[in-house]
Amino acid sequence: MIDNDAAMTSWHREPTLPFQRMDEETIVVDPRTREVHLLNETAARIWDLLEEPASLDQLCEELAEEYEGATPEALRGEVEGFLKDLGGKGLLVARGRA
Amino acid sequence: MSEEQRCDDVAPVNGDGGAIISRIQDWGFQKIVPVNAAIEITQRCNIRCLHCYNFDRDEPQVREDACATTPELSTAEILQVMADLRAAGCLFLMLTGGEILSHADLFTFMDRARELNFSLQLLTNGTMLKPGVAARIAAYENLQGVSVSVYGATAPVHDGVTQMPGSWRRTWDGIKRLKHLGVVVRVKFIIMRQNAHEVGAMQAMATEMGLPYSIDMNITPRHDGSRGSLQTRIELDQLETLYRGPLSRLVSKKARSAPEAVACNCARGNVAITSTGNVQPCISVPWVAGNIREQAFAEIWKTSPVFERIRGFKLADYKKCAPCEHRAYCRYDRSSAYNTTGDYTNPDPFTCATAELTHRLADEHAAGETPTEERLFNVRRVANAR
Repeated sequence: MIDNDAAMTSWHREPTLPFQRMDEETIVVDPRTREVHLLNETAARIWDLLEEPASLDQLCEELAEEYEGATPEALRGEVEGFLKDLGGKGLLVARGRA
Repeated sequence: MSEEQRCDDVAPVNGDGGAIISRIQDWGFQKIVPVNAAIEITQRCNIRCLHCYNFDRDEPQVREDACATTPELSTAEILQVMADLRAAGCLFLMLTGGEILSHADLFTFMDRARELNFSLQLLTNGTMLKPGVAARIAAYENLQGVSVSVYGATAPVHDGVTQMPGSWRRTWDGIKRLKHLGVVVRVKFIIMRQNAHEVGAMQAMATEMGLPYSIDMNITPRHDGSRGSLQTRIELDQLETLYRGPLSRLVSKKARSAPEAVACNCARGNVAITSTGNVQPCISVPWVAGNIREQAFAEIWKTSPVFERIRGFKLADYKKCAPCEHRAYCRYDRSSAYNTTGDYTNPDPFTCATAELTHRLADEHAAGETPTEERLFNVRRVANAR
Protein backbone atom coordinates (compact mmCIF):
# COMPACT_ATOMS: atom_id res chain seq x y z
CA MET A 1 0.00 0.00 0.00
CA ILE A 2 2.68 2.43 1.07
CA ASP A 3 5.56 1.67 -1.28
CA ASN A 4 5.11 3.11 -4.75
CA ASP A 5 1.81 4.78 -4.18
CA ALA A 6 2.72 6.32 -0.86
CA ALA A 7 2.82 9.86 -2.11
CA MET A 8 -0.50 9.44 -3.85
CA THR A 9 -2.38 7.94 -0.93
CA SER A 10 -4.46 10.11 1.31
CA TRP A 11 -4.34 9.32 5.02
CA HIS A 12 -6.47 10.37 7.93
CA ARG A 13 -6.97 9.12 11.42
CA GLU A 14 -9.71 6.63 12.18
CA PRO A 15 -12.43 9.12 13.08
CA THR A 16 -14.02 7.31 16.02
CA LEU A 17 -10.90 6.39 17.99
CA PRO A 18 -10.65 7.95 21.43
CA PHE A 19 -7.52 10.03 21.96
CA GLN A 20 -6.19 12.77 24.17
CA ARG A 21 -3.24 15.09 23.92
CA MET A 22 -0.97 15.01 27.02
CA ASP A 23 1.34 17.99 26.63
CA GLU A 24 3.71 16.88 23.85
CA GLU A 25 2.41 13.33 23.61
CA THR A 26 -0.92 11.83 22.58
CA ILE A 27 -2.62 8.74 23.92
CA VAL A 28 -4.80 6.80 21.46
CA VAL A 29 -7.20 4.14 22.73
CA ASP A 30 -8.42 1.37 20.46
CA PRO A 31 -11.37 -0.34 22.17
CA ARG A 32 -11.64 -2.88 19.33
CA THR A 33 -8.25 -4.41 20.12
CA ARG A 34 -8.03 -3.37 23.79
CA GLU A 35 -4.77 -1.62 22.97
CA VAL A 36 -3.54 1.77 24.03
CA HIS A 37 -0.89 3.67 22.08
CA LEU A 38 1.35 6.50 23.19
CA LEU A 39 2.53 8.79 20.40
CA ASN A 40 5.71 10.80 20.88
CA GLU A 41 5.94 14.47 20.03
CA THR A 42 6.43 14.07 16.27
CA ALA A 43 3.89 11.29 15.96
CA ALA A 44 1.42 13.33 18.01
CA ARG A 45 1.85 16.24 15.63
CA ILE A 46 1.23 13.98 12.64
CA TRP A 47 -1.87 12.64 14.41
CA ASP A 48 -3.08 16.23 14.78
CA LEU A 49 -2.47 16.95 11.11
CA LEU A 50 -4.36 13.83 10.10
CA GLU A 51 -7.60 15.20 11.44
CA GLU A 52 -7.92 16.17 7.78
CA PRO A 53 -6.82 13.83 4.98
CA ALA A 54 -3.22 14.34 3.85
CA SER A 55 -0.70 12.58 1.65
CA LEU A 56 2.82 11.63 2.69
CA ASP A 57 4.21 14.54 0.71
CA GLN A 58 1.82 17.00 2.28
CA LEU A 59 2.69 15.81 5.76
CA CYS A 60 6.41 16.05 5.13
CA GLU A 61 6.10 19.54 3.74
CA GLU A 62 3.99 20.68 6.66
CA LEU A 63 6.36 19.22 9.22
CA ALA A 64 9.42 20.64 7.47
CA GLU A 65 7.96 24.11 7.92
CA GLU A 66 7.44 23.48 11.62
CA TYR A 67 10.75 21.82 12.52
CA GLU A 68 13.76 24.04 12.11
CA GLY A 69 16.40 22.61 9.83
CA ALA A 70 14.25 19.73 8.64
CA THR A 71 13.56 19.04 4.99
CA PRO A 72 10.69 17.05 3.53
CA GLU A 73 13.20 14.54 2.19
CA ALA A 74 14.84 14.02 5.57
CA LEU A 75 11.48 13.52 7.26
CA ARG A 76 10.09 11.15 4.68
CA GLY A 77 11.41 7.92 6.15
CA GLU A 78 10.16 8.59 9.66
CA VAL A 79 6.77 9.84 8.53
CA GLU A 80 6.31 6.93 6.13
CA GLY A 81 7.23 4.53 8.91
CA PHE A 82 4.67 6.15 11.17
CA LEU A 83 1.93 5.86 8.55
CA LYS A 84 2.83 2.26 7.88
CA ASP A 85 2.90 1.38 11.57
CA LEU A 86 -0.36 3.03 12.57
CA GLY A 87 -2.05 2.14 9.31
CA GLY A 88 -1.22 -1.49 9.98
CA LYS A 89 -2.75 -1.21 13.42
CA GLY A 90 -5.96 0.25 12.04
CA LEU A 91 -5.49 3.63 13.67
CA LEU A 92 -5.17 5.39 10.32
CA VAL A 93 -7.28 5.02 7.24
CA ALA A 94 -5.87 5.18 3.72
CA ARG A 95 -8.24 6.44 1.11
CA GLY A 96 -7.75 6.16 -2.67
CA ARG A 97 -5.28 8.52 -4.31
CA ALA A 98 -4.67 12.10 -3.38
CA MET B 1 -9.34 -9.85 38.24
CA SER B 2 -10.91 -9.24 41.57
CA GLU B 3 -10.29 -5.98 43.29
CA GLU B 4 -12.14 -3.17 44.86
CA GLN B 5 -13.12 -0.67 42.25
CA ARG B 6 -11.54 2.76 42.04
CA CYS B 7 -13.30 5.73 40.58
CA ASP B 8 -10.70 6.09 37.85
CA ASP B 9 -10.93 2.48 36.79
CA VAL B 10 -11.05 1.96 33.06
CA ALA B 11 -11.81 -1.24 31.23
CA PRO B 12 -8.98 -3.77 30.90
CA VAL B 13 -6.46 -3.21 28.12
CA ASN B 14 -3.88 -5.43 26.48
CA GLY B 15 -0.10 -5.40 26.50
CA ASP B 16 1.61 -2.42 28.06
CA GLY B 17 -1.60 -0.40 27.80
CA GLY B 18 -1.94 -0.48 31.57
CA ALA B 19 1.26 1.51 31.96
CA ILE B 20 0.03 4.09 29.47
CA ILE B 21 -3.31 4.32 31.26
CA SER B 22 -1.43 4.88 34.52
CA ARG B 23 0.55 7.59 32.81
CA ILE B 24 -2.51 9.55 31.72
CA GLN B 25 -4.05 9.10 35.16
CA ASP B 26 -0.90 10.50 36.75
CA TRP B 27 -0.88 13.30 34.21
CA GLY B 28 -4.50 14.16 35.04
CA PHE B 29 -3.69 14.16 38.74
CA GLN B 30 -0.59 16.34 38.39
CA LYS B 31 -1.96 18.77 35.82
CA ILE B 32 -5.52 18.79 37.22
CA VAL B 33 -7.14 17.65 33.98
CA PRO B 34 -10.45 15.76 34.31
CA VAL B 35 -9.45 12.77 32.21
CA ASN B 36 -12.20 10.69 33.85
CA ALA B 37 -15.77 11.91 34.01
CA ALA B 38 -19.07 10.37 34.95
CA ILE B 39 -22.36 11.82 33.79
CA GLU B 40 -25.46 10.68 35.60
CA ILE B 41 -27.91 11.07 32.72
CA THR B 42 -30.94 10.31 34.88
CA GLN B 43 -31.93 9.06 38.29
CA ARG B 44 -34.89 7.20 36.83
CA CYS B 45 -34.57 3.47 37.30
CA ASN B 46 -36.67 0.43 36.60
CA ILE B 47 -35.58 -1.37 39.77
CA ARG B 48 -35.69 -0.32 43.43
CA CYS B 49 -32.45 -1.49 44.98
CA LEU B 50 -32.42 -1.51 48.76
CA HIS B 51 -28.94 0.03 48.87
CA CYS B 52 -29.40 2.71 46.17
CA TYR B 53 -27.37 5.82 46.97
CA ASN B 54 -29.55 8.19 44.93
CA PHE B 55 -32.63 8.31 47.11
CA ASP B 56 -35.05 6.04 48.95
CA ARG B 57 -36.93 4.41 46.08
CA ASP B 58 -39.51 2.92 48.44
CA GLU B 59 -40.77 6.36 49.32
CA PRO B 60 -43.29 8.07 47.02
CA GLN B 61 -41.50 10.05 44.36
CA VAL B 62 -42.44 13.67 44.27
CA ARG B 63 -41.74 14.07 40.59
CA GLU B 64 -41.84 11.73 37.67
CA ASP B 65 -38.17 12.40 36.97
CA ALA B 66 -37.33 11.37 40.51
CA CYS B 67 -35.72 14.65 41.50
CA ALA B 68 -37.71 16.28 44.22
CA THR B 69 -36.70 19.87 43.76
CA THR B 70 -34.87 20.30 40.47
CA PRO B 71 -35.66 19.02 36.98
CA GLU B 72 -33.13 16.72 35.42
CA LEU B 73 -30.79 17.95 32.72
CA SER B 74 -32.28 18.19 29.26
CA THR B 75 -30.76 16.32 26.37
CA ALA B 76 -29.30 19.57 25.06
CA GLU B 77 -27.71 20.32 28.43
CA ILE B 78 -26.12 16.88 28.60
CA LEU B 79 -24.77 17.21 25.06
CA GLN B 80 -23.29 20.59 25.96
CA VAL B 81 -21.56 19.35 29.08
CA MET B 82 -20.14 16.44 27.09
CA ALA B 83 -18.52 18.93 24.73
CA ASP B 84 -17.30 20.98 27.68
CA LEU B 85 -15.75 17.93 29.33
CA ARG B 86 -13.98 16.97 26.12
CA ALA B 87 -12.62 20.48 25.75
CA ALA B 88 -11.33 20.26 29.32
CA GLY B 89 -9.32 17.12 28.49
CA CYS B 90 -11.67 14.30 29.41
CA LEU B 91 -10.91 11.04 27.61
CA PHE B 92 -12.70 8.39 29.69
CA LEU B 93 -16.41 9.09 29.95
CA MET B 94 -18.84 6.97 31.91
CA LEU B 95 -22.58 7.28 31.51
CA THR B 96 -24.44 6.20 34.62
CA GLY B 97 -27.81 6.51 36.31
CA GLY B 98 -30.35 5.63 37.70
CA GLU B 99 -30.63 3.25 34.80
CA ILE B 100 -29.13 4.67 31.63
CA LEU B 101 -31.39 2.61 29.40
CA SER B 102 -34.43 4.28 30.93
CA HIS B 103 -33.33 7.52 29.25
CA ALA B 104 -34.94 7.90 25.83
CA ASP B 105 -31.89 9.69 24.41
CA LEU B 106 -29.12 7.36 25.56
CA PHE B 107 -28.10 6.64 21.98
CA THR B 108 -28.01 10.35 21.18
CA PHE B 109 -25.45 10.69 23.96
CA MET B 110 -23.51 7.69 22.70
CA ASP B 111 -23.49 9.15 19.19
CA ARG B 112 -22.09 12.38 20.59
CA ALA B 113 -19.50 10.51 22.64
CA ARG B 114 -18.30 8.82 19.46
CA GLU B 115 -18.15 12.10 17.56
CA LEU B 116 -16.15 13.64 20.38
CA ASN B 117 -13.70 10.72 20.52
CA PHE B 118 -14.46 9.76 24.09
CA SER B 119 -13.49 6.35 25.35
CA LEU B 120 -16.93 5.37 26.55
CA GLN B 121 -18.04 3.18 29.40
CA LEU B 122 -21.60 2.44 30.42
CA LEU B 123 -22.89 1.44 33.83
CA THR B 124 -26.21 -0.39 33.78
CA ASN B 125 -28.24 -2.88 35.77
CA GLY B 126 -28.49 -4.95 32.60
CA THR B 127 -32.20 -5.69 32.81
CA MET B 128 -33.07 -3.71 29.68
CA LEU B 129 -30.40 -5.17 27.42
CA LYS B 130 -32.78 -6.78 24.96
CA PRO B 131 -31.23 -8.27 21.81
CA GLY B 132 -31.75 -5.19 19.64
CA VAL B 133 -30.48 -2.86 22.33
CA ALA B 134 -27.40 -4.97 22.99
CA ALA B 135 -26.59 -5.09 19.27
CA ARG B 136 -26.93 -1.35 18.98
CA ILE B 137 -24.61 -0.77 21.95
CA ALA B 138 -22.05 -3.23 20.60
CA ALA B 139 -21.78 -1.29 17.34
CA TYR B 140 -20.05 1.69 18.96
CA GLU B 141 -16.38 1.59 18.00
CA ASN B 142 -15.40 3.82 20.92
CA LEU B 143 -17.08 1.64 23.54
CA GLN B 144 -14.44 0.62 26.06
CA GLY B 145 -16.76 -1.52 28.09
CA VAL B 146 -20.01 -1.99 29.94
CA SER B 147 -20.16 -2.48 33.69
CA VAL B 148 -23.17 -4.37 34.97
CA SER B 149 -24.15 -4.36 38.62
CA VAL B 150 -24.95 -7.76 40.12
CA TYR B 151 -26.19 -8.40 43.65
CA GLY B 152 -26.11 -12.14 44.03
CA ALA B 153 -25.27 -15.53 42.60
CA THR B 154 -28.89 -16.65 42.73
CA ALA B 155 -32.14 -15.11 41.64
CA PRO B 156 -33.77 -14.96 45.09
CA VAL B 157 -30.86 -13.02 46.59
CA HIS B 158 -30.34 -10.67 43.65
CA ASP B 159 -34.04 -10.06 43.12
CA GLY B 160 -34.46 -9.48 46.84
CA VAL B 161 -32.07 -6.55 46.56
CA THR B 162 -33.57 -5.10 43.37
CA GLN B 163 -37.14 -5.79 44.52
CA MET B 164 -37.86 -6.83 40.95
CA PRO B 165 -38.70 -10.48 40.35
CA GLY B 166 -36.93 -11.78 37.27
CA SER B 167 -34.21 -9.12 37.32
CA TRP B 168 -31.38 -11.60 37.98
CA ARG B 169 -32.28 -13.61 34.89
CA ARG B 170 -32.70 -10.50 32.76
CA THR B 171 -29.39 -9.07 33.94
CA TRP B 172 -27.45 -12.24 33.13
CA ASP B 173 -29.23 -12.56 29.79
CA GLY B 174 -28.09 -9.04 29.01
CA ILE B 175 -24.53 -9.75 30.11
CA LYS B 176 -24.38 -12.82 27.90
CA ARG B 177 -25.77 -10.93 24.92
CA LEU B 178 -23.17 -8.22 25.18
CA LYS B 179 -20.34 -10.69 25.68
CA HIS B 180 -21.51 -12.71 22.69
CA LEU B 181 -21.34 -9.53 20.63
CA GLY B 182 -17.73 -8.95 21.66
CA VAL B 183 -18.35 -6.20 24.20
CA VAL B 184 -16.05 -6.14 27.22
CA VAL B 185 -18.44 -6.63 30.11
CA ARG B 186 -17.26 -6.14 33.64
CA VAL B 187 -19.45 -7.47 36.38
CA LYS B 188 -19.63 -5.12 39.30
CA PHE B 189 -20.48 -7.22 42.33
CA ILE B 190 -22.00 -5.11 45.07
CA ILE B 191 -21.33 -6.99 48.28
CA MET B 192 -23.78 -6.49 51.11
CA ARG B 193 -25.36 -8.16 54.10
CA GLN B 194 -27.90 -9.93 51.90
CA ASN B 195 -25.41 -11.59 49.55
CA ALA B 196 -22.20 -12.05 51.55
CA HIS B 197 -22.77 -15.80 51.67
CA GLU B 198 -22.77 -15.91 47.85
CA VAL B 199 -19.53 -14.04 47.18
CA GLY B 200 -17.56 -17.16 46.30
CA ALA B 201 -20.32 -18.30 43.99
CA MET B 202 -20.47 -14.89 42.35
CA GLN B 203 -16.73 -14.98 41.69
CA ALA B 204 -17.03 -18.47 40.28
CA MET B 205 -19.81 -17.42 37.91
CA ALA B 206 -17.78 -14.56 36.52
CA THR B 207 -14.66 -16.68 36.18
CA GLU B 208 -16.46 -19.50 34.44
CA MET B 209 -17.87 -17.03 31.93
CA GLY B 210 -14.50 -15.33 31.44
CA LEU B 211 -15.78 -12.02 32.74
CA PRO B 212 -13.62 -9.52 34.60
CA TYR B 213 -15.25 -8.38 37.79
CA SER B 214 -14.86 -5.92 40.60
CA ILE B 215 -15.85 -6.12 44.22
CA ASP B 216 -17.58 -3.12 45.75
CA MET B 217 -18.59 -3.14 49.40
CA ASN B 218 -19.10 0.58 49.65
CA ILE B 219 -22.64 1.11 50.90
CA THR B 220 -23.27 4.65 52.11
CA PRO B 221 -26.12 6.79 53.34
CA ARG B 222 -28.18 8.07 50.42
CA HIS B 223 -27.67 11.40 48.78
CA ASP B 224 -31.16 12.45 49.85
CA GLY B 225 -30.00 12.14 53.44
CA SER B 226 -31.89 8.95 54.22
CA ARG B 227 -29.91 6.15 55.84
CA GLY B 228 -31.99 3.07 55.18
CA SER B 229 -29.37 1.88 52.70
CA LEU B 230 -27.03 1.22 55.62
CA GLN B 231 -29.26 -1.67 56.61
CA THR B 232 -27.75 -3.52 53.68
CA ARG B 233 -24.11 -2.81 54.53
CA ILE B 234 -22.06 -5.88 55.25
CA GLU B 235 -21.49 -6.72 58.92
CA LEU B 236 -17.94 -6.72 60.20
CA ASP B 237 -18.03 -10.41 61.07
CA GLN B 238 -19.25 -11.19 57.57
CA LEU B 239 -16.39 -9.15 56.18
CA GLU B 240 -13.85 -11.03 58.27
CA THR B 241 -15.24 -14.31 56.98
CA LEU B 242 -14.88 -13.03 53.41
CA TYR B 243 -11.36 -11.77 54.03
CA ARG B 244 -10.42 -15.18 55.38
CA GLY B 245 -12.16 -16.85 52.44
CA PRO B 246 -13.05 -15.78 48.92
CA LEU B 247 -11.78 -12.22 49.31
CA SER B 248 -8.47 -13.14 50.97
CA ARG B 249 -6.64 -11.55 48.05
CA LEU B 250 -7.80 -8.16 49.27
CA VAL B 251 -5.78 -8.62 52.44
CA SER B 252 -2.11 -7.74 52.27
CA LYS B 253 0.17 -10.70 52.80
CA LYS B 254 2.91 -8.53 54.22
CA ALA B 255 3.26 -5.42 56.29
CA ARG B 256 2.62 -2.19 54.49
CA SER B 257 3.94 1.30 54.96
CA ALA B 258 1.51 4.13 55.39
CA PRO B 259 1.43 6.41 52.34
CA GLU B 260 2.76 9.94 52.56
CA ALA B 261 -0.53 11.36 51.34
CA VAL B 262 -4.13 10.27 51.15
CA ALA B 263 -5.21 12.27 48.11
CA CYS B 264 -7.15 10.38 45.48
CA ASN B 265 -7.81 11.48 41.92
CA CYS B 266 -11.15 13.13 42.71
CA ALA B 267 -11.34 16.82 41.74
CA ARG B 268 -8.00 16.36 39.99
CA GLY B 269 -8.35 13.66 37.34
CA ASN B 270 -11.94 12.74 38.20
CA VAL B 271 -15.18 14.68 38.03
CA ALA B 272 -18.87 13.87 37.96
CA ILE B 273 -21.99 15.62 36.73
CA THR B 274 -25.27 14.68 38.36
CA SER B 275 -28.62 14.43 36.60
CA THR B 276 -29.52 17.90 37.85
CA GLY B 277 -26.27 19.48 36.71
CA ASN B 278 -24.32 19.48 39.93
CA VAL B 279 -20.57 19.16 39.50
CA GLN B 280 -18.94 16.92 42.08
CA PRO B 281 -15.50 15.43 42.70
CA CYS B 282 -16.97 11.95 42.25
CA ILE B 283 -20.43 10.57 41.55
CA SER B 284 -20.37 9.04 45.05
CA VAL B 285 -19.49 12.26 46.85
CA PRO B 286 -22.31 14.83 46.66
CA TRP B 287 -20.11 17.77 47.68
CA VAL B 288 -21.35 20.25 45.12
CA ALA B 289 -18.73 22.42 43.48
CA GLY B 290 -21.17 24.21 41.20
CA ASN B 291 -23.94 23.65 38.72
CA ILE B 292 -23.60 23.74 34.95
CA ARG B 293 -26.89 25.64 34.68
CA GLU B 294 -25.31 28.51 36.54
CA GLN B 295 -21.68 28.38 35.44
CA ALA B 296 -19.75 26.88 32.57
CA PHE B 297 -18.07 23.61 33.46
CA ALA B 298 -14.60 24.99 32.81
CA GLU B 299 -15.18 27.86 35.22
CA ILE B 300 -16.39 25.50 37.94
CA TRP B 301 -13.44 23.19 37.37
CA LYS B 302 -10.92 26.00 37.59
CA THR B 303 -12.39 28.25 40.24
CA SER B 304 -14.69 26.29 42.53
CA PRO B 305 -13.73 26.79 46.18
CA VAL B 306 -14.88 23.23 46.88
CA PHE B 307 -12.49 21.78 44.32
CA GLU B 308 -9.69 24.08 45.46
CA ARG B 309 -10.24 22.87 49.00
CA ILE B 310 -10.20 19.20 48.05
CA ARG B 311 -7.06 19.65 45.95
CA GLY B 312 -5.36 21.41 48.82
CA PHE B 313 -5.97 18.81 51.51
CA LYS B 314 -2.81 17.55 53.18
CA LEU B 315 -2.41 14.48 55.30
CA ALA B 316 -2.55 16.63 58.42
CA ASP B 317 -6.04 17.79 57.43
CA TYR B 318 -7.27 14.24 57.95
CA LYS B 319 -6.98 14.67 61.67
CA LYS B 320 -8.21 11.24 62.69
CA CYS B 321 -6.48 9.45 59.83
CA ALA B 322 -3.01 11.00 60.03
CA PRO B 323 -2.00 9.41 63.35
CA CYS B 324 -3.99 6.18 62.84
CA GLU B 325 -2.00 2.97 63.28
CA HIS B 326 -4.12 1.26 60.62
CA ARG B 327 -3.54 3.89 57.93
CA ALA B 328 -1.44 1.62 55.73
CA TYR B 329 -4.39 -0.75 55.42
CA CYS B 330 -7.12 1.81 54.90
CA ARG B 331 -9.12 2.44 51.74
CA TYR B 332 -9.53 6.13 52.64
CA ASP B 333 -13.03 5.92 51.28
CA ARG B 334 -14.09 9.52 50.88
CA SER B 335 -17.63 8.72 49.76
CA SER B 336 -18.35 6.86 52.99
CA ALA B 337 -16.69 9.66 54.92
CA TYR B 338 -18.66 12.44 53.29
CA ASN B 339 -22.00 10.67 53.17
CA THR B 340 -21.77 9.38 56.74
CA THR B 341 -20.12 12.25 58.58
CA GLY B 342 -20.71 15.19 56.24
CA ASP B 343 -16.97 15.87 56.33
CA TYR B 344 -14.68 14.76 53.52
CA THR B 345 -11.77 14.37 55.93
CA ASN B 346 -13.60 12.71 58.79
CA PRO B 347 -13.60 8.93 58.38
CA ASP B 348 -16.66 6.75 58.49
CA PRO B 349 -16.36 4.46 61.55
CA PHE B 350 -17.04 1.42 59.38
CA THR B 351 -14.09 2.31 57.16
CA CYS B 352 -11.94 2.55 60.28
CA ALA B 353 -13.14 -0.82 61.52
CA THR B 354 -12.40 -2.32 58.12
CA ALA B 355 -8.86 -0.94 58.21
CA GLU B 356 -8.33 -2.36 61.70
CA LEU B 357 -9.56 -5.75 60.53
CA THR B 358 -7.36 -5.71 57.44
CA HIS B 359 -4.36 -4.73 59.56
CA ARG B 360 -5.00 -7.55 62.01
CA LEU B 361 -5.27 -10.15 59.25
CA ALA B 362 -2.12 -8.84 57.58
CA ASP B 363 -0.30 -9.16 60.90
CA GLU B 364 -1.48 -12.76 61.13
CA HIS B 365 0.02 -13.41 57.73
CA ALA B 366 3.26 -11.68 58.70
CA ALA B 367 3.45 -13.82 61.83
CA GLY B 368 3.03 -16.95 59.77
CA GLU B 369 -0.43 -17.58 61.10
CA THR B 370 -2.21 -17.93 57.80
CA PRO B 371 -5.83 -17.07 58.46
CA THR B 372 -8.01 -20.11 58.22
CA GLU B 373 -10.34 -20.19 55.30
CA GLU B 374 -13.77 -20.80 56.62
CA ARG B 375 -15.75 -23.08 54.39
CA LEU B 376 -18.97 -21.15 54.56
CA PHE B 377 -19.06 -20.93 50.82
CA ASN B 378 -19.99 -24.19 49.28
CA VAL B 379 -18.39 -23.49 45.94
CA ARG B 380 -15.17 -24.53 44.35
CA ARG B 381 -12.19 -22.29 44.80
CA VAL B 382 -11.55 -19.79 42.06
CA ALA B 383 -8.07 -20.62 40.93
CA ASN B 384 -7.24 -17.81 38.60
CA ALA B 385 -9.12 -14.86 40.01
CA ARG B 386 -6.29 -12.76 41.27
